[in-house]
Amino acid sequence: MSIAKYHLSSVQASYGKTLGVAIDELSITAGGLYVLEGANGSGKSTLLGILAFLNKPDQGTVSFDGVPVNWTRKECALLRRRVTLLHQRPYLFSGSVASNVTFGLAARGASKTMVQNVIRESLEKVGLSGFESRTARKLSGGESRRVALARALACKPEVLLLDEPVANVDRASAALFESLVVSLAAAGMTVVISSHDERLGARLGACMIYLEDGKLAGPPEQLPSKALPHCEEENDAHS
Amino acid sequence: MSFIADSFRMAIALILKGDSDVTSAVATSLSVALWSVLFAAIAGVPIGIAVTLGKFPMKGAVRLVLNSLMAMPTVVIGLLVYGFLSRQGPLGSMGLLFTPRAIIIGQTILATPVIANYTLSAIQGADERILPTARTLGASNLQSLFQLAREVRFGLVAAIIAGFGRVVSEVGVAMMLGGNIRMYTRTMTTAIALETSKGDFAFGLALGLILIVVALAVNLFLTVAQESLRA
Repeated sequence: MSIAKYHLSSVQASYGKTLGVAIDELSITAGGLYVLEGANGSGKSTLLGILAFLNKPDQGTVSFDGVPVNWTRKECALLRRRVTLLHQRPYLFSGSVASNVTFGLAARGASKTMVQNVIRESLEKVGLSGFESRTARKLSGGESRRVALARALACKPEVLLLDEPVANVDRASAALFESLVVSLAAAGMTVVISSHDERLGARLGACMIYLEDGKLAGPPEQLPSKALPHCEEENDAHS
Repeated sequence: MSFIADSFRMAIALILKGDSDVTSAVATSLSVALWSVLFAAIAGVPIGIAVTLGKFPMKGAVRLVLNSLMAMPTVVIGLLVYGFLSRQGPLGSMGLLFTPRAIIIGQTILATPVIANYTLSAIQGADERILPTARTLGASNLQSLFQLAREVRFGLVAAIIAGFGRVVSEVGVAMMLGGNIRMYTRTMTTAIALETSKGDFAFGLALGLILIVVALAVNLFLTVAQESLRA
């Protein structure tokens, strides 16, 4: 039996009078690879914000590793050291690529030797070896996203949340992202990717979570059933 | 015209010979201005950040007060602080009135709203992704705020330049709280006011020239620092 990394129960989040998300039940399995799909404004980013412990829901319970989250500042700060969100338009801090990649480690008080190794490993994973001393702000859009991914990976999170990581990137970068997330999930990391790409789930062999107007929904009818791989039992809980 | 030219020549001579009254006024001015800006930055930067990012009632009113304090006449601040520091005032027993420390207190109050408002503008103009990015990478709230300050450091240096400009050029606070005591609390601006009123235009002009050069030098230094931070 698989362990739920997250379990959301009756979770609701709004922005003023606009409903962000309203989810009755949702479980995300540890080590699973998920694609979160929905139209613009369907609540994908809001849900990722909740899963990243950046946004507190107005109602409901979120459990992480079976423990209900109390949403205190201290608890969220600790949980955020285990979960990393890569934003849709990632922000690179001023300074070098290396200083960006090491940001999360520096925040955790990592040693210099460890930091050097992690910079090299992380940049290698995203195909940017030798970029350490480059100025982060002078990179192209695709390179910036890859640096942001390397920075997220450097933190060695248990959960990696990716908000539209392949939107507006070239084919080579998209392919690199896709193969990387598959290998990360295979290595035991829980990965949740939001996307507009209806075929992404099938390509990655991922579990699908469909959002429509902030609520969990069934798959769009036009999609072939093979777009909904190996997670029917988990998604049963959604319906 | 020759009066001005003669005064100008005398002013240059006073500067070149290192007149003790001139050097004392310059040293006092710089010392109180730098300490004031330091204390105002320590208070003003967190105030600016808190007012921008904090969620609290009457936030609009606080911003209005901060804005209004920017235009507060220096003599009014001098007068209020005088009330506290004078013998009959609540802090009179500390014996601060007519000391450089009294000027520092007044000028800190003068520069704090300036630095807070400039910080507020810098933070408001900052990219809204900075804090969530820092937080999702595991930074604590304090570490995230430091990163935010680091990202807007260009604006923060501008805040400090503005604060320095406000205090180094003011007369009211230095006059009322320092008392314009020769070789002790006399600053460049109070000396200019006094000596010119006494008819010693050359002395006033000499200090005026130095004040301009000092202001330029300090601003040049801060601007160079600002440019190096931009990289």
